[in-house]
Amino acid sequence: MNRKSAVTYTLSRCVKCLKCVKACPTSALTMEKSRIHVNQERCINCGQCIRACHSRGLIAQGSTLDDIASYDYTVCMLPSSLSSSCASIEEAEEMFYAIKSLGFDEVIDLSPLEGQLMEETWRIASEMEEGGGIASFCPVVNRLVETTYPMLMEHMIPLNYPSEIMARQIRKRPNGDKIGIFLFCECESKLTLAKYPYGGQHYETDHAVALVDIFPKIKKNMKKGNLDVTLCREGLQSCNPAVMMQRPDYLIADGYDKINSILNMEEFGLLDTFKLLYLFPCFNGCIGGHLLWGNSYLNRNNIDELTGKRRLPVTDLPLEDLYGTVINERKDGRSFKEKMQYFNRVNEVLEHLPGYDCSACGMQTCRIMAEEIAKGRKNVSDCRVLAAIKGGSDDNSTAD
Amino acid sequence: MNKILQKEFHVERDDYANAGMASSQIKSTLKQVGVDPKVMRRIAVAAYEAEINMIIHAWGGVVYLDVTEDGMIHLIFQDCGPGIPDLEKAMTPGWSTASKKARELGFGAGMGLPNIKRVSDEFTIESSPAGTSIFLTFRVEE
Repeated sequence: MNRKSAVTYTLSRCVKCLKCVKACPTSALTMEKSRIHVNQERCINCGQCIRACHSRGLIAQGSTLDDIASYDYTVCMLPSSLSSSCASIEEAEEMFYAIKSLGFDEVIDLSPLEGQLMEETWRIASEMEEGGGIASFCPVVNRLVETTYPMLMEHMIPLNYPSEIMARQIRKRPNGDKIGIFLFCECESKLTLAKYPYGGQHYETDHAVALVDIFPKIKKNMKKGNLDVTLCREGLQSCNPAVMMQRPDYLIADGYDKINSILNMEEFGLLDTFKLLYLFPCFNGCIGGHLLWGNSYLNRNNIDELTGKRRLPVTDLPLEDLYGTVINERKDGRSFKEKMQYFNRVNEVLEHLPGYDCSACGMQTCRIMAEEIAKGRKNVSDCRVLAAIKGGSDDNSTAD
Repeated sequence: MNKILQKEFHVERDDYANAGMASSQIKSTLKQVGVDPKVMRRIAVAAYEAEINMIIHAWGGVVYLDVTEDGMIHLIFQDCGPGIPDLEKAMTPGWSTASKKARELGFGAGMGLPNIKRVSDEFTIESSPAGTSIFLTFRVEE
């Protein structure tokens, strides 16, 4: 499957500091010929490189609102994490109105569907026979399991993304194929769940928009009117780890380091007593998504206010509409013998490298460099540390 | 059979702080090779259980990881004693020497050795007062 990373690089802004290369948890970034390359197969769209970059050389840019004009009828889908950033239901009504005023014909709140998915996730997990399930709502977790924890693939809950399920429902309408479907995104990884801008051709959603990009426009339209809004409590809860903690069978965790430690332990089968691993790479969960502008520590307390007076039940879509494959097994076609030969070749090269993982060559670690050398794309002489040592000893010999 | 990879990991006596380190290194080596995930998972589960046994029940020892040309992954867990007096009992599911307290904490279910045997393609165990050795084999190539 062709993949496109959500990370966009601007050469003119890059100061060649290698911070992004070092920050990448999956070693997807390299610097070659003084520019950054993102390995599309390795990138999990977690956005850590974007946050490591101090010069805005890396960004995740979504579709623009100009695209609305290309359709006769447009629908905008709003995630629960966005609704959760409103302090009151009145503010949510103003915000929904403000968003519709951007030029959409219809605004769809995803919270009831997210609620149904959370309940269905729980039901599937409780019926799994061996070990717990891993919730599949986060594209970063799914890509992380695919690239780094492949032995846990069987534990993934086989449910599709809420935006994709909703987009398919919209397409089923009369003239559905002519509707422009937009998704407002709270994090970099969700920008890849649409055809534009990052080429998710198999998704029904047409455009993914980064919420921070359009925040000034939303703000301008605020307090100008309101749209009737009733939110679903379970949906809002599903993106907020702080309010899910009371379930003893769930292991809920937020933050990249923590979820890695959990996935590492689960590979040994040490967390099988939990029925469900519900993992959020972002701090405070999806409400802490980096494309939101609010304060997620405050926003996590908004649920009661937003669903206290009135609330919507979860949707009751037929189960078959909820299922989907969010993860793909990676087969590289090599035999075990070929894999071993390559592994041994890399290790032989690695023995000659200094092992400082300094990234000065542009590769994140000496192992990545050794792989490049083993593939014939780099030479041992490209190692700057070895070159410096060699240069140093030459100097000494001249001094002698 | 020719070995195409040989590694060994030392497990120190009573070194609870580093418990699981050998299995983590084995796991990361196999990931780097790109071993089939299903086989890798069985190896990870067996290696962890066997390594922890060496620390809890024995006096440390050595773990050997060998990969042979025929696509077999061999793990040998060789501890320094005191040995298992009754192997038949130790291999019985549910049989455990763990204290009541340990069981209340969720340990000592008596499934350790039976589980290791269940997930391995070949399993051999030898024990004497000088130490216990567990030989595990996993088939990679179909």
